[in-house]
Amino acid sequence: MSEVHEAKDNKLKQLPDELQLATAAHVKYVQSLDTRVTEYGYWMTQHLRLNGVYWGLVALHLLGHPEALPRDETIEFVLSCQKDNGGFAPAPNHDAHMLYTVSAVQILAMVDGFDELERRGKGNGKATVGKYIADLQNRETGTFAGDEWGEEDTRFLYGALNALSLLGLLDLVDVNKAVDYVVACANFDGGYGATPGAESHAAQIWTCVGALAIAGRVDLIDKEKLARWLSERQVANGGFNGRPEKTADVCYSWFVLGSLEIIGRRHWIDGDALVEFILSAQDPEKGGISDRPGDMVDVWHTCFGIAGLSALGYPGLEAVDPRYCMPKSTIRRILGE
Amino acid sequence: MSSHDIPRTSGFRTEEQTYQELEKIKKYRDLEDQFYSLTAANNYEYTPDLFQLTTKLLKLNPEYFTAWNVRRRLLISGLLSRSSRGSSRSTALSTSSSSGTTTHSSAALSPSRSTETPPSRESQTPGRPGQNGTTAETDKAGQDTEAKKAAAAENDANVIQSELAFIFPLLKDYPKCYWIWNYRRWILELAIEHLPAATARRIWEEELGLDSMMLTRDRRNYHAWAYRRYLVAKLESAELGGKSMVEEEFDYTTRMTRVDLSNFSAWHNRSKLIPRLLDERRASDVARRAFFDEELGRVKEGLNVGPEDQSLWFYHQFLMSNVTDYVGRATIIPNLDFKDRITYVTTELDEIEELLEDFDDVKWIYEALMEYTLSLQRLQERQLDAAEKERLAVWLGKLRELDPLRNGRWDDVAADCKL
Repeated sequence: MSEVHEAKDNKLKQLPDELQLATAAHVKYVQSLDTRVTEYGYWMTQHLRLNGVYWGLVALHLLGHPEALPRDETIEFVLSCQKDNGGFAPAPNHDAHMLYTVSAVQILAMVDGFDELERRGKGNGKATVGKYIADLQNRETGTFAGDEWGEEDTRFLYGALNALSLLGLLDLVDVNKAVDYVVACANFDGGYGATPGAESHAAQIWTCVGALAIAGRVDLIDKEKLARWLSERQVANGGFNGRPEKTADVCYSWFVLGSLEIIGRRHWIDGDALVEFILSAQDPEKGGISDRPGDMVDVWHTCFGIAGLSALGYPGLEAVDPRYCMPKSTIRRILGE
Repeated sequence: MSSHDIPRTSGFRTEEQTYQELEKIKKYRDLEDQFYSLTAANNYEYTPDLFQLTTKLLKLNPEYFTAWNVRRRLLISGLLSRSSRGSSRSTALSTSSSSGTTTHSSAALSPSRSTETPPSRESQTPGRPGQNGTTAETDKAGQDTEAKKAAAAENDANVIQSELAFIFPLLKDYPKCYWIWNYRRWILELAIEHLPAATARRIWEEELGLDSMMLTRDRRNYHAWAYRRYLVAKLESAELGGKSMVEEEFDYTTRMTRVDLSNFSAWHNRSKLIPRLLDERRASDVARRAFFDEELGRVKEGLNVGPEDQSLWFYHQFLMSNVTDYVGRATIIPNLDFKDRITYVTTELDEIEELLEDFDDVKWIYEALMEYTLSLQRLQERQLDAAEKERLAVWLGKLRELDPLRNGRWDDVAADCKL
């Protein structure tokens, strides 16, 4: 089922050793994340724990080591984060939110654990999770809130469509209204923001383009304008920024590349230059990737750096689905595409 | 788990450093443990202990969104008086379903509400003024109502001001933390709900000053620009007895782009304000054209000295799209003759080409020449002529030389133009 990029005869082979993907180190790094209890940062980031599992798992799957985190413990932890309302918290004592609910669904999808959710989840398993998400849709405008406190953002709209499509429950929400809302977020430069009127931003663009792709409405995108703006995110060092005049950051490798891939314009940027930038931000000894060369690594940048490499067809990596930021093989298994 | 701009270190720690780190962790975890045990036990009724605990935790870790949520529940269940002005989004989403004043959005959210937020209405501190607005209780309150209302408003004003003051330093230290901005919005909504209209309006107006300050510290802060649009929309609304602020906000973008021509956030906001500005001025076709010319002049003035500024070029594209992409689309100069449209594009092409005399190695100039040549051809619904093709080939050659990162794009343009 897996789809691994084969080595091509290109520039990548000629890169020096420190610019080869340190797969073993990255696997070890992700495995070590839950053991760092003597670091203050570990305790300060409890509110991201479930996202962290998703980021780590995507990295491991794309690196070809899906078993590096024990499946049973992973499912156990995910289920321990579920609240009575069906939503998921980042860690057991926290509140539920769309962001973690989407991560929970994505994790369960990757470890093929939906059956466990059906058996042991709160209420009626998948249906209860789907209802939590669907109830967060603003039925007037089509967008989604993150939780009961009502903050709205196209990130949550995307997350909802992502998770519901994986659960096979998209019919619980008004997809057309959600699509209209995304269209209302478009700007003159072809990009999208968090709400109508908001400035174009590469990460928000990926969520909007991803949402349209999941809804099957990529036809509504002004592809030429958007691709032009996105391709200008690549700066001289090969990396991408998220908005004009900002510095490059590894995570935008994914947000820009994923969006370009969806609209069929991945070739509008220099893939080799981006590969070099991402690899120069990795810690080849201890593993992990940082926002830019020389900075502290973290699992967020590790995930999106590796996803970027995969989108570029880096040899040996599992292929990534540009809409979901998950292995193509997972999406194919679930959606039967 | 997601760090930015933090230099990589060896990870080596001395014994002393390890000890200090462990002490720090212990202190934080102790607070967290107290927080968990209190929140598990008390169903979010207000107690000074729990409230102070959220203060301590949030000062150490403003990303701790659950602590912000608990703080909101404490404000609703205890610190604030009951709103007498009906239900608004901010509290409707979080108070118990017994209120019977569900708004549209709260209806959509009721499941999470009813399971996550225990009913706290009955546990209200006795004698607290400004009660929950059922008919019976309103009658009971009798003639003391006005005095109680005033006392309630004063209490609430103090609570709201003290929350805003608490958040302010956190916002300065963590200007990109979503949860702080969200909480601040929620507090501002409370002001509308709980305070006399004039007081609420003053608080919202002061907030615009704070936002300007945040944008002085970081001119591109995505959150601060979003917050500004949110504040302005509310200040303009009937809810706060407002009127249009489009002129002031437009002036603000003028000032911001003067300080920094490369401020794309300001140019973006300007592009969003202009259609409304012209409509509200009831600008005639002549006035619209004069405005457009001035705007175009402003951008070109910038490009003449800094043609490598992509913000200016994107804004130039925005202006020119109002000339070239007008079919089936609202533009800021709708009644332009076709002949004038052509003249605008050809004039721009000529003037941009003149830039090459001083700057022959700036890729943006070649890109603009290419784009507007293609716009002109589309506008006139014709094929490219031989001379244009020749020029396009030259510009694409320069683009490949100056901007090889995007060669895939230049290849596509060449193929589309059959060069």
